[in-house]
Amino acid sequence: MKNNTVSDRLISLKQIQLQLHSDSGPVEILRGIDLDVERGETICVVGPSGSGKTSLLMVIAGLEPATGGSLSCAGHDLGALGEDQLARYRCDHVGIVFQEFHLVPTMTALENVAIPLEFSSRGDAFARAEQELLSVGLDHRLAHYPGQLSGGEQQRVALARAFVTRPDILLADEPTGSLDQATGHKVLDLLFELKERNGTTLIMVTHSSELAERCGRQVRLVDGLIVGDDAGDLLND
Amino acid sequence: MTKAGATWLEDFKVAMIIARRELRGRKRGLGVFLLCLILGVGAITGVGTLSRSVIAGLDLEGSSLLGGDVSLRLHSRPFTEDERDWVTRDSLSLSDVVTLRAMVRPEDDRDRRRLVELKAVDGAYPLYGRIETSPADPLHRLLEKRDGVWGAVADANLFDRLGLKPGGRIRLGDAVFELRAEMVREPDRVANALSLGPRLMISTDALEITNLVRPGSRVLYSLRATYGPEFQFTPWKGGLRDRFPSAGWDVRNAGEAVPSVRRFIERLGLFLIFIGLTVLLVGGVGVANAVECYLEERARTIATLKCLGAPGRMIFQSYMLQVMVMAVLGTLLGLLSGTLGSVLGLTAIGGLLPVPPVIGFFWKPVWIAAAFGLLVAFTFALWPVAKAQAISPAQLFRDSIAPSGAAPGRRALGMGFAVVILLCGLVFVAAEDNRFAAWFIAGSVVSLAALRYAALGFMALAARARPTRAWIRLALANLHRPGSATMPVTLSLGLGLAVLVAVSVISGNLSRQITERLPEQAPAFFFIDIQPAQVEAFDRAVTGIEGTSGYRREPSLRGRITAINGVPVGEATINQDSEWAVHGDRALTFSAGPPVGSDITEGRWWPRDYAGPPLISLDAGLAGGFGITIGDTLTLNVLSRDITARVANLREIDWRSLRFDFAIIFAPGALDGAPFTHIAVINAPRGMEDAVERAATSGFPNISAIRVRETLETAARMLDGINWAVRGMAGLSILSGLIVLSGAIASGQRRRIYDSVVFKVLGASRRRIAGMFAAEFLLIGLATGVIAAAIGLMVSWAVVALLMRMAWVPLLSEAVFTVVLTLLVTVLLGWFSTWKVLAGRPMPYLRND
Repeated sequence: MKNNTVSDRLISLKQIQLQLHSDSGPVEILRGIDLDVERGETICVVGPSGSGKTSLLMVIAGLEPATGGSLSCAGHDLGALGEDQLARYRCDHVGIVFQEFHLVPTMTALENVAIPLEFSSRGDAFARAEQELLSVGLDHRLAHYPGQLSGGEQQRVALARAFVTRPDILLADEPTGSLDQATGHKVLDLLFELKERNGTTLIMVTHSSELAERCGRQVRLVDGLIVGDDAGDLLND
Repeated sequence: MTKAGATWLEDFKVAMIIARRELRGRKRGLGVFLLCLILGVGAITGVGTLSRSVIAGLDLEGSSLLGGDVSLRLHSRPFTEDERDWVTRDSLSLSDVVTLRAMVRPEDDRDRRRLVELKAVDGAYPLYGRIETSPADPLHRLLEKRDGVWGAVADANLFDRLGLKPGGRIRLGDAVFELRAEMVREPDRVANALSLGPRLMISTDALEITNLVRPGSRVLYSLRATYGPEFQFTPWKGGLRDRFPSAGWDVRNAGEAVPSVRRFIERLGLFLIFIGLTVLLVGGVGVANAVECYLEERARTIATLKCLGAPGRMIFQSYMLQVMVMAVLGTLLGLLSGTLGSVLGLTAIGGLLPVPPVIGFFWKPVWIAAAFGLLVAFTFALWPVAKAQAISPAQLFRDSIAPSGAAPGRRALGMGFAVVILLCGLVFVAAEDNRFAAWFIAGSVVSLAALRYAALGFMALAARARPTRAWIRLALANLHRPGSATMPVTLSLGLGLAVLVAVSVISGNLSRQITERLPEQAPAFFFIDIQPAQVEAFDRAVTGIEGTSGYRREPSLRGRITAINGVPVGEATINQDSEWAVHGDRALTFSAGPPVGSDITEGRWWPRDYAGPPLISLDAGLAGGFGITIGDTLTLNVLSRDITARVANLREIDWRSLRFDFAIIFAPGALDGAPFTHIAVINAPRGMEDAVERAATSGFPNISAIRVRETLETAARMLDGINWAVRGMAGLSILSGLIVLSGAIASGQRRRIYDSVVFKVLGASRRRIAGMFAAEFLLIGLATGVIAAAIGLMVSWAVVALLMRMAWVPLLSEAVFTVVLTLLVTVLLGWFSTWKVLAGRPMPYLRND
């Protein structure tokens, strides 16, 4: 990793700040984040509640505009992109997995997985979605609605949906937080398997130390600042 | 929470406590609930109060409108001395009034002629009320003979039409009058848009010299009298009938002063109340939606209460109690707004009404509107509340987003059936006419069922469709998903829209009938009061005008039907559609041969030289309404002589075509010796009408020419005014539908936010998401519009073709315009409210903590 060239750098955050406004005044969520991520890395973001972990993911996903600093992801200067270009960026480069799955309840599993491909106007959306569901072991659940699936199955659909576009970056926010331990392990195994198979860069927020240990690099956030980055330290060296 | 076997009352006490605490919290979505009730209850209260105010005005002015405590009216002959003496006995005062139609022109201008409603009054007139003129002067002074010329008072528009000012002179029949003042108020005259001409008032002493009253002329003689406070009308009327059984007069007291106006106001009021009730029914869908939304928010609370031991009955009581508290509030606000609205309305349009309205508080419309409001709220809230009672706590926890399919129990179904029966009963009470009430209930049930099944069909279609474009598929998914807005919007907006389309197409058909079809079929002129001695000269005068055609002339006299098959009309069973024929006098004729183009459906025409007992040819529709046929008898009072005639044949007559025809035609012989005049009709091109009128009236001052086109235009103007009132009410049902729509959008807002956030995450642009929502509303609006337009058109067809028996034209432009307008509003409203969703930031919805 130390020998990686600049061209392998997939994400580069320089002094990223995020300030939000609440009823009691402005709140500093991120207070100058510097983070470089190489293509293919597996990073976990840890830290106490309210430290800015999810916000960091949102900024990288282009869902929350940074209020300061510069941010380059997959060759795009996110600060310079408009609403539609950000949507395109997510469509082409980013997959996201949430703790609460966030599937569309009125769509079948197949439709849920196909939808990002349809946003990209892919003609083979359904064929690929079916393939992806097969890869997560849910080919027998294609026509089921989220309400008809178990939590583990829903998260597997969410994984399939996140990977179906072959994103460069996968952002995962507590992906096993809503699952029991056994199911959580299965889902994580699947997540890492997919990541490896697709060569995806994974950034994952977690509270689980066990899970953190499975990641190649740990970034620790406290109060909107990075206070520990094992690989980052190496890189800086 | 409650001990086993707790009584209903014990549960209710706890339910009240829970309800009170629950009502302290935020009541999301109940704004729509309140608005729907306020609008519906307000509309019913407003219309009811308005019509009651006008009827109270009629009652208050009854004696003035009648012109006395009693009024006797006779057609074509004056009262005899005997009759006059009988009425004068015990009376305090007596007044004679004679009315007829006549032509008038400026003394020095033969070309400006007007048909007037002439009224000759004696010195005692008016017995009640006050006549107002401009300039103000006592009536007897205005009408007296000065310097050899009698005076007259006339409506302002007669001055305008004749180009005269007070002091100008007019020729009326064979006499000259001086127009001395404008009539400002005439106490015994109801504003009547269908009068054939302006009022001209002269003295009875002056009437004689006009020579307008000739044997057989169409003249109405009225004798009005006032009596002391102990006067009893019913025994007095009985005594009068015993003394003069064949007089053939129309006797009324103050309570029956203007029955036709009263009937019209009551019918119009009833029609508007039905539309108001539709507004409330539309709002009922909003009520159901709002209650469902409210209960969805309370799902966890209900589950918790159930886990803690609250029985289902208590849950039902508590939440129904909360709903009814809100319903009482909405109803009270509706009553208040309706009452205030009617007062404002009466203040604004009071001058246009037939009598000054009595502005006040009327109990009946208020209690009826309140009962409707509360019953509709209960009925429409029953299903969602019963569903919340029926489902298990576990289901409630699991189904916080998608409602379960749990069905309410039998008790709730029974209760629902009972309140629907109550609602129907209330419709009968409010309508006071069983036939109309039954029609309304059947129409509402069929329309709602049609809308519901159409919506279900539409949702099934949306579920089956698999379009390739994702945004259309997503829009379609939103149409059939659980909790989608399709059903409430189709029902509410659809019902409102169906009413508006029906009303628009019905009124369009009526207007078309009056302004297009009738002028095509109807003659240009009716001429009345042609004396037998004038017929040859008159025929020559009018048929000599270039361009005229279709001239027909028939003898005419008037008579009143007094008995059907020997049964007095007051006791006979007569179909509602035929009642008009026994109200007042009818025009009669006699003829040796059948009228040109007549369609004899039963029996045979009499021989041309028939000289036997009285025979008549009768309108087949009337015969059906009277329940008689060939060989049965009708008794007619003609000039105080009762003639019983046998029905020889029946003819089919289409009265709506304004064809020149008579409902009753006597065979020659029976009416011999009775004085009569002739009536004639003629067609003339529009440009020749003045010439025809001149020719018809110049040499014949006693003959009146009625311009059919002008009369129809007056009727069309009146219809226009009514149309606007009806459309305004129907517009309220659309407004109510839009409130329901906005409620449905608001209740689906959370789901829409969720969808849009997920789509954003997956890379959908804001424009794409907006397009998807717009497509959803476009589809829902389009489907609702098409379904409702179809129902509205069917209702209009039923009313026009079946009820009114007129030719029905679909008038698609009216329907399309209404649908397109609603579609635009639906899409704009939906799109505007979802735009806020798109502007929202996704992070708050995606974070886990």
